[in-house]
Amino acid sequence: MSKSQHDRTHHAKKATRKGDPQCFKGEAGPAKFKVGDRVRIKDLPDIFYTRCQIYTRGATGTVVALVYESPAPEDEAWDNTDKPEWFYSVKFRQKDLWPEYHDVYANDTLETEFSERWLEKA
Amino acid sequence: MSLLSTREDAMRFIRAIGYLQPAVHKPQHAPYPDEIDHTLFRAYTRSVHDIGGEPDVPIRWEEKEEEQWEANTFATCECLAWRGVWNAEERRRRQNVEIGLTSYLGLPYYGRWLLSAALVLVDKQYVTLTELVNKIDEVKKRHEQKSAR
Repeated sequence: MSKSQHDRTHHAKKATRKGDPQCFKGEAGPAKFKVGDRVRIKDLPDIFYTRCQIYTRGATGTVVALVYESPAPEDEAWDNTDKPEWFYSVKFRQKDLWPEYHDVYANDTLETEFSERWLEKA
Repeated sequence: MSLLSTREDAMRFIRAIGYLQPAVHKPQHAPYPDEIDHTLFRAYTRSVHDIGGEPDVPIRWEEKEEEQWEANTFATCECLAWRGVWNAEERRRRQNVEIGLTSYLGLPYYGRWLLSAALVLVDKQYVTLTELVNKIDEVKKRHEQKSAR
């Protein structure tokens, strides 16, 4: 897919008076997950660009919010903005992320965002 | 700048490169394929800004005021986005990942912004590298004259 004829101000036009990611609202279709769902982070190849942290791969957490719709970083980083996805805030127990995490802090949690492609039902 | 000091500068630069090797304490000169297992391949090809959880020593935290060139760099990069040269995610890809591990860890935060702003202009043919290099040279000479006075 070549975008040599791409309008380079397309994003500025789309986001003007709306903001980003608000300008992608309504474009991702129905959300696959809902608040409270248990999800596992997929281990997709991570060459070239991603914002899905390696330390979350394969870990299981709980969806705490559907935060916004936006192109996934892996798409947007090359200006591919025509397939927005739902983004989810997922909460993990720190103990589920770090094997050596001390029992004293068993209630500690970590919350971070993922685009839908990184999640599967746990 | 005299010819001699230019040579000394070049040699000093070449020696400094040796210190920039990431601290995997083994030789890293174009290994044969069977010397790279999956773990090492992934370590080399991952997005280098994905640093959470790596073993490391504590670093010193310091309060620091933003310098003028840093604010200018930020404004320049925002204008490039406004004019459609890149979006924020492409900027991050360039300044945090494609810059490579050694530079990611070794350069100041806004130094990486500034370098990637210059590179995106060259990559997308808004300026040629020849024009950019000549301009930097011209500004450098002007600055040297000014500071000599």
